[in-house]
Amino acid sequence: MNSNAFANIPEWKEVFDTLPTIRKFFAGDPHMLGLNSLLENLSIYFDRFMDHVERRDPFVWYNLGFSSELVYAMGDACPLPVELLGAVHSLVGNHRMSLDFIDTAQASGVPADCCSADKLAAGAMHKGVYPAPALAVGVNTPCDAQVMNAQILAELSGAPFFSIDVPYHDDEEAIDHVAAQLKELVEFMEEVLGRSMDLDRLREVCEHSNRMTETLWEWLDWRKLVPLTQSSKVVALTLVLQILFTGTAEGVEIAQSLLREARERSERNERFFEERVRAVWYQDAVWTDMQIYDWFERELGLTVPVDVFGYYAQEGLIDTRNETTMFKGLANKLVRCQPMSRQFRGNIDMYIRDFMNMMEGWNADCCIFAGHVTCKHAWGGIGLFKEALRKADIPLLIFEFDMFDPRTTPWEDIYFHVERFVEEIVAPRKSRGM
Amino acid sequence: MPENVLRELRGLIRSHTNRHIDEWKAAGKPVVGFFCQYIPPELVLAAGALPLRLRGAGSEDSSTGDAYMSSHVCTYVRHVMSLVLEDEYRFLDGFIGSNTCDHVRRTYDLFQKKTTVPFQWFVSVPRTARKSLFSYYYNELQKLKVALEDHFQLEISPDRLREAIARMRNVRDRLRRIDALRLPDRPKLNGTEAAVVHLAAHALPPEIFVDLADRLLESLEAREPLEIPRARLMLIGAELDEPDFVAAIESQGARVVADNLCFGSRSVLPAIVEDGDNLLKTLAETYFFRLSCARMIGNFPDRWEELKRAAHHARADGVVFQRLLFCDPWGADLHNLQLRNRKENAFPVLALSREYGVVPTGQVKTRVQAFVEKIEITRAKGAAGVSP
Ligand code: SF4
Ligand code: SF4
Repeated sequence: MNSNAFANIPEWKEVFDTLPTIRKFFAGDPHMLGLNSLLENLSIYFDRFMDHVERRDPFVWYNLGFSSELVYAMGDACPLPVELLGAVHSLVGNHRMSLDFIDTAQASGVPADCCSADKLAAGAMHKGVYPAPALAVGVNTPCDAQVMNAQILAELSGAPFFSIDVPYHDDEEAIDHVAAQLKELVEFMEEVLGRSMDLDRLREVCEHSNRMTETLWEWLDWRKLVPLTQSSKVVALTLVLQILFTGTAEGVEIAQSLLREARERSERNERFFEERVRAVWYQDAVWTDMQIYDWFERELGLTVPVDVFGYYAQEGLIDTRNETTMFKGLANKLVRCQPMSRQFRGNIDMYIRDFMNMMEGWNADCCIFAGHVTCKHAWGGIGLFKEALRKADIPLLIFEFDMFDPRTTPWEDIYFHVERFVEEIVAPRKSRGM
Repeated sequence: MPENVLRELRGLIRSHTNRHIDEWKAAGKPVVGFFCQYIPPELVLAAGALPLRLRGAGSEDSSTGDAYMSSHVCTYVRHVMSLVLEDEYRFLDGFIGSNTCDHVRRTYDLFQKKTTVPFQWFVSVPRTARKSLFSYYYNELQKLKVALEDHFQLEISPDRLREAIARMRNVRDRLRRIDALRLPDRPKLNGTEAAVVHLAAHALPPEIFVDLADRLLESLEAREPLEIPRARLMLIGAELDEPDFVAAIESQGARVVADNLCFGSRSVLPAIVEDGDNLLKTLAETYFFRLSCARMIGNFPDRWEELKRAAHHARADGVVFQRLLFCDPWGADLHNLQLRNRKENAFPVLALSREYGVVPTGQVKTRVQAFVEKIEITRAKGAAGVSP
């Protein structure tokens, strides 16, 4: 299929039709540098995507726990996280198409009680909307849903498949175990794609990845300031960065735009809302309606300076001296730094400790646990999480919803939960000086 | 009379513990619990402890587990954890956690923070049975061995391990013989009875089980073969430690002639050769490469081929896939299996979702009945030369 034919697949056409409109809409706000850069680079990614289709370059499918560095290091291979199209429709495209992927997945045998991220992926694969892959990579992190996704990906891709095991532990042995697999993956890709990975290219990719990470660290520091001057929602959107742009110049550019925006707005003490309450948003974002965060800001004075997707742990950069150090650095990133993989994969202590770090470091007043109904590891640890917060005297809101399927909990209900929590618990408590 | 032995076995699995466990404890010997098949019981046995796969039998409601794990986690795990948190597993001297699935993984957090079980250890089992990943698993088992030795103050010598392997082989030999008796057109025991025997193997000291199993096998020789069923079924999926569920299926005139279940035939691994010079490695290899579980990424194609082979061997008319709600690993297998089956039309499949501890309702029976009827109609059409 050539790129023209591809662009006429309804699910792609909708993206190509909608994205420019959304870009135009946000471009009207010169202060939304981060978001504008993300949207712009998303457009660039899709343009390149079509170039790859046209040139019949190899596509590498993978599930969301993996990050794109090694694929970019393979030259003209195009990384394709299989949740991509569903997630894009949920964010900026046509909701109905995301729901259609979900329903297709269920009709094809994915049980209803499984994560909708999996369903977006399975639905898209069943509908045949992606270019056939040259190979597929599955990773078990951050959760069982990703194991499921990897299993389905292996079955539906029909391509040579390689899986990566990120263990429960996060000691040096775990890093070595993952590093060895990344090396093995490169050998596998080289064999399937019939080309060698260029070490200088890998170094360049790792350097981009490092610069993006450093920039995000700096950016996160600006978001510690009270009051928050940058929009809440951009913090969750950094997930797109890590899945799609890690290791690219575009990734660095998006991170730099986020930083510049946060810095400039803070320096100008610019606000478009009156901050009353700061929350750490733990677990999943309301991907189906990111504007809800704007609404929280304007109506409730509620801001989210940090969440689990935007939290880049300071666990070191990739050492680019040689091949061995680079694989080790990438493994370290997957085990100890990458949002979700770091907190969701191992024991509950890391999950709670990171939350406490965010709470303290970003001067939050409360926690909003947005419980994606099918996120089993999170619900499996909810009792201990609640106990830890009770002990630390942190107000906690827990609500259930589906991050990609608004049919589970409509946004009005989410807003209602959050509003009551802010107005009846957190704000009064804060005004009492607690 | 096989009924007498079966009654005794049924009594022993009714709850999460039994008098033989009490006697084992009374003799001053420890009990170590775990969830996952990738924890080799041989290693625990060699440490002088009774390996006990945790079950939720006897738990009437899961509210204590729900309070910590919510209602979005698999009910098997929630029932077990209710018992644990209510101190019903207070006889445990040890617990070995694992990353079998997210649900089981989280139980280790609760054990750590909410129980005083003296020995606690975690084994991270790679999620793919690739050769290059074996050393990580082997290493994890080596560490477990050292931890058991330290805690229980003994050396797991090659002799001790050899002996434990032999003891577990005796158990599996009996299970294999039981499984063989399920296969004839008119078998000597039904699927419900076989499930009881399999469960008892997980709940009893090996010698006690072997003794009971031998008595059963002997008494079965004189038993009249059972009637030819309306349909021969193979039952597959994850945890199923409730014979009542099998009984509900069989109440519709079907017979479960084979299974691939976690508490069933899947745990009957091939015999472990105990004369190599590195027994732990041999043990680890057997578990890592021969056990095929849905938690292992990428080996569905092998599992599918194995299922077809097993269903053919058992002359199964259909396959019943039972899955506990919220289970992702088996959710993926269910999807993949239905997909392959649509392409290959290997056998009729009935997918049943269930909750642990819920007596099978009329709905399960109705669905099984419809499935059996469908099989019968297809068979009748085939006999009449009509393409089904
Ligand atoms: S939402 Fe939860 S279950 Fe779904 S992919 Fe993320 S961590 Fe996994
Ligand atoms: S049934 Fe599934 S979710 Fe439950 S313990 Fe087993 S693998 Fe885990």
